[in-house]
Amino acid sequence: MGFNGIGGYLNRPGEIPVEVIIAYFVFALAIAIILGKRNGGLKAFKTVDWVYIGIGAAAAYVWEFIIGAIIGRAVPSGLSNFIDVGFWGRLFIVFIVAALVRKVGAGMITLFLFNFFSDLFHYGFSGEPMYFIYESLTYGLFVDLGIAITGGKIFGIGVTGSTSKVVALAAIEGGIIGFLWAFPDPIFYGAFFKPFLYGGVVNWSRIIYDLISFIPGDVVIGILAGLASNRVQKAVQV
Amino acid sequence: MKVNFVFQQPNLPPLVELAISWFIFLFGATGPIVIILAFVGIRGFLHITRFESGEGILYKLSPLTKLIIVISTTVAVSLTIWWFGAILTLVFWSLFFTLNEAKRKVLYVSYLLLSSILGVSTGFAFYTPYSVLQMAFNTNTLNVIWVWPSYFSFAGYEPYLTLQALYYGFQITFRFTAPMLAGLLLILTTTPSDLMRYLAKVKFPLPFIFALTVAMRTVPRIFDTLDTVVKLQLMRGLGYGKPSFLRPFYVLIAGLYGLVPTLIFLMKGAKYTAIAADTRAFNSTPRRTYMKEVKYTKADYVAWGLIVVLFVTVALLLAFGYGRGIPYVGY
Repeated sequence: MGFNGIGGYLNRPGEIPVEVIIAYFVFALAIAIILGKRNGGLKAFKTVDWVYIGIGAAAAYVWEFIIGAIIGRAVPSGLSNFIDVGFWGRLFIVFIVAALVRKVGAGMITLFLFNFFSDLFHYGFSGEPMYFIYESLTYGLFVDLGIAITGGKIFGIGVTGSTSKVVALAAIEGGIIGFLWAFPDPIFYGAFFKPFLYGGVVNWSRIIYDLISFIPGDVVIGILAGLASNRVQKAVQV
Repeated sequence: MKVNFVFQQPNLPPLVELAISWFIFLFGATGPIVIILAFVGIRGFLHITRFESGEGILYKLSPLTKLIIVISTTVAVSLTIWWFGAILTLVFWSLFFTLNEAKRKVLYVSYLLLSSILGVSTGFAFYTPYSVLQMAFNTNTLNVIWVWPSYFSFAGYEPYLTLQALYYGFQITFRFTAPMLAGLLLILTTTPSDLMRYLAKVKFPLPFIFALTVAMRTVPRIFDTLDTVVKLQLMRGLGYGKPSFLRPFYVLIAGLYGLVPTLIFLMKGAKYTAIAADTRAFNSTPRRTYMKEVKYTKADYVAWGLIVVLFVTVALLLAFGYGRGIPYVGY
């Protein structure tokens, strides 16, 4: 029965060994702390950054759970793996927040607050704190790694050079982070957190199918979101 | 394990069967959309996510108590049999009558509830594999009430709709509805600044509380802004001259187009919020003082008593074998 809806099943058929998952999250946490310290941590955040994050988290919640969920129901279920309007909206919004804040931690904090809102309005905190860890240290961390690697110049913002260079950078970075965003749901959730929380059997052919079917859409939307983030950042800063 | 199907579907001419299958396919997919768009609308969401002051009992409870109620409800419905979740859903739905402008809110939340029940039920019933139903109901005999056209399997449908699948979908619904209504009640009856004070009391980091407060204030504003953006697009000719039954789909398309303009509008306003907070010395010290003292009233103590009663009831249900009857294993 477990605690708060967490069954705690560790040896379900096909489940990724817990040691591998712990190793990833310890490593991810270490990276998050190191990057955070190197970039001034939360103290580097200005008040306006917290406002952007708050608005982004609320928008991501509203889009993924209400508007995107409604639009998504018009998509035939067989295509829902390829066309996920709700998830794509979250990706779009988180990228825009990252483009506005451009400080390491923006991704993880936005995902943390998004998860808090999802619990408050929708899930009711069942399975927590697992989802806080999962959302922040996968999707959120990937965005923050993008910010760290580009030295705060994510999606070509602040890069000097020709427009085509900036556009290419925004598209490439968006595409790479979009590609990374295709992994957490099938690999981390489908092959570990879902069986860990609820039991059942991991169907690896389904996991592989999910991963392969998520990648094209997430990459394309990632590219568009990268380009849009660059434009939105300019429009907001005016 | 082998499945024994007992075919109980009505004997109809093939063309009628086909027409009904397609109707159910479309109703299953679009029914909740039509309900939400036709009756709740984007503005309706604003009314069920925005704080408005009132005199009812829920307005007197502290935000922390209400947050504990939301969490306790989730724990309770995830551990117990489906009808306990249904009872809690009914209780929370009834509490909407105690709110300010109750009639409108009850109406909107009822449409939302109906849409959720339809959406979640069909979302699970049509796609749940028989092996899951066998495990959930501990039986190898499934009663077939409808046979889908074979090509529906490409959309992920199981070949037959069974009575057990419908039960499964319907019963799972109440795992979602009770916490959803409890969460909406919290939002509707709590000011963001109240929540802020109480979260500060339990040592939640100040910047997080601030971002959370901004987010709480933003949710209704998103619906407000998006509604305006959608209407502007319709006014400028999106879907003009098209049959009226297609209107909900044009609203959806306008909603899709509206994401970026809505975000730009909201984000542009962010700097004014930040200036307003900074001029009040936000974050200049790790802790801040509050004009209003955090206090718990008699209503809070009564609510905590009821939470204890809730957990005692859960324990009794579990002891008498009314635990989670149907595992939520997804599909």
